[in-house]
Amino acid sequence: MECERLRELDAELALGVLPARERADAVAHLDRCPDCREHVERLTAVGDGLLALLPGAEPPVGFESRVLRSLGARSAPKRRVRRQRLRLAAAAAAAALVCGFGGWTVGTVVEGAAPAVSQRTDGTLREAALRSGGHEVGRIYAHSGSGGWVYMSVDLGPTARGPVRCLLVHADGSTSPAGSFPLKDGYGYWGAPSGTDPASVTGARLTATDGTVLAAAQFPHA
Amino acid sequence: MWRMGLSFGRVPDEALLSGLATGDPEFVVAFVRRFQRTVFGVAFAVLGDPQLAEDVAQQTFERAWRHAQVYDTRRGSVRSWLTTIAHNLAIDTARARRASPVAPEDLDALLGVVTETPERRALADDSAERVRRAVAELPREQARALVMAGIYGMTAREVADTEHVPLGTAKTRIRTGTLKVRALLETEEKR
Repeated sequence: MECERLRELDAELALGVLPARERADAVAHLDRCPDCREHVERLTAVGDGLLALLPGAEPPVGFESRVLRSLGARSAPKRRVRRQRLRLAAAAAAAALVCGFGGWTVGTVVEGAAPAVSQRTDGTLREAALRSGGHEVGRIYAHSGSGGWVYMSVDLGPTARGPVRCLLVHADGSTSPAGSFPLKDGYGYWGAPSGTDPASVTGARLTATDGTVLAAAQFPHA
Repeated sequence: MWRMGLSFGRVPDEALLSGLATGDPEFVVAFVRRFQRTVFGVAFAVLGDPQLAEDVAQQTFERAWRHAQVYDTRRGSVRSWLTTIAHNLAIDTARARRASPVAPEDLDALLGVVTETPERRALADDSAERVRRAVAELPREQARALVMAGIYGMTAREVADTEHVPLGTAKTRIRTGTLKVRALLETEEKR
C-alpha cells in the first residue's frame, strides 16, 4: 500500500472500522511510514473526542457488588483501615509526582528490616515495597522527572516510634540521606527531593536514630 | 511542606488505578464508583440494551484490573483508556449479537446528544466541547456517518446500507466528516 491509498482509508482506520484485510495492509504501511502514522494518530483524536461526548448513565442496582465479586474482592477487614490509609497516601503521592507537583510531606514509621518486592510502573516512576521482617510495611516511589523526588508511606505498627531516617542506596553500595521524619502511631508518609539522580538509586533503607535498619526496599532495574 | 488528604474523592485517577492493581477492596470500590457512570454510559450508548451494557461494563472493569499495571500515562487519561476499552468491547458485542447495527431512532437521539450546543456549552472551551461544536458544524449526512462509524463502530458498507447510498458515498462522508472535525479542532487549538 502506498501513501496515497492509505490517505483514502485514513479516517476508517483511525475510527477502527476498516475491514480486517484492508486494515492489515494499512497497519503494515504505518509501520514503515512515520508521516502517515502521525496523520492517522491525529485523526484518532476525533474518535476519542466523540466518545468523550457520550453521556454517563447510572448502571443497574447491584452493579458495583457484581464487579467486586468478579474481581475476587471481598469486604475489607476492619484491620485493613490502617493499611488502606497507607496505600492511599502512597498512591496519591506517586500520582502527584507523575503530575509534576510535590513538596515535603511528613508522617510516621517503625522497626524491622528485609529485602523487597518491587514493580516498575512507567518510564519515570519506579515503585518498590518497603519490607520489614518479611512483611510489606510500606511503598516507596522514586521519580526521575523535574529534579528527582522520593515519596514513601510506611506503617510499622502502633508501638513504633520516630524519628526515622531514609537512606537512598546506590548501585555502588554507597548511601545518601534523603531526610528524617517523625512517626505517629508507627505510621507516616512523606516526600522530598531526592538530592541525587533517582535513576542511580537501587534501593532505600529506613533506619532508627541509632542506625538500626527498620525497613528496606529494592527498586527494579531501570 | 504539605499534607495529602486521605479522602478517595481527592485521589487522582492514576493513583486509584494503581490501587486497583493491588486488588485492595477499598480501591476497587472507589475506582468502580468513580468510573461506572462513564463506562456504563458508553456501553449503553452503543448497545441500547441495559443488560448487555452491564455485561460490557463489568468486562471493562475486569480488563482494567488485569491491565492496570501496564497502563501508560503518556498514552492518555485513565478515563479515556477505560472509555476505549468499553467502546471496543461494546462494538464486539454489538457485532456478535445484532443483525442491524443501529436503530434509526437511536441514531437520531445520539446525534442530538453529541451535537447539542446550548449557549452554556457553546461558550465552554474544553476539548470535549470543541469536538461537540465541530461535529455540530458538519452537514447532517456527514455527522450521521461520523457517529455511525466513530460511536457505533459501523463499517463504510454498513453505513452505506443504512443510509441507502453507494459505498463510495459512505466512505467519502466518513472521511470528509473526520477530516473537517480534525481541521476545526486544530484551528481552535492554534488560537
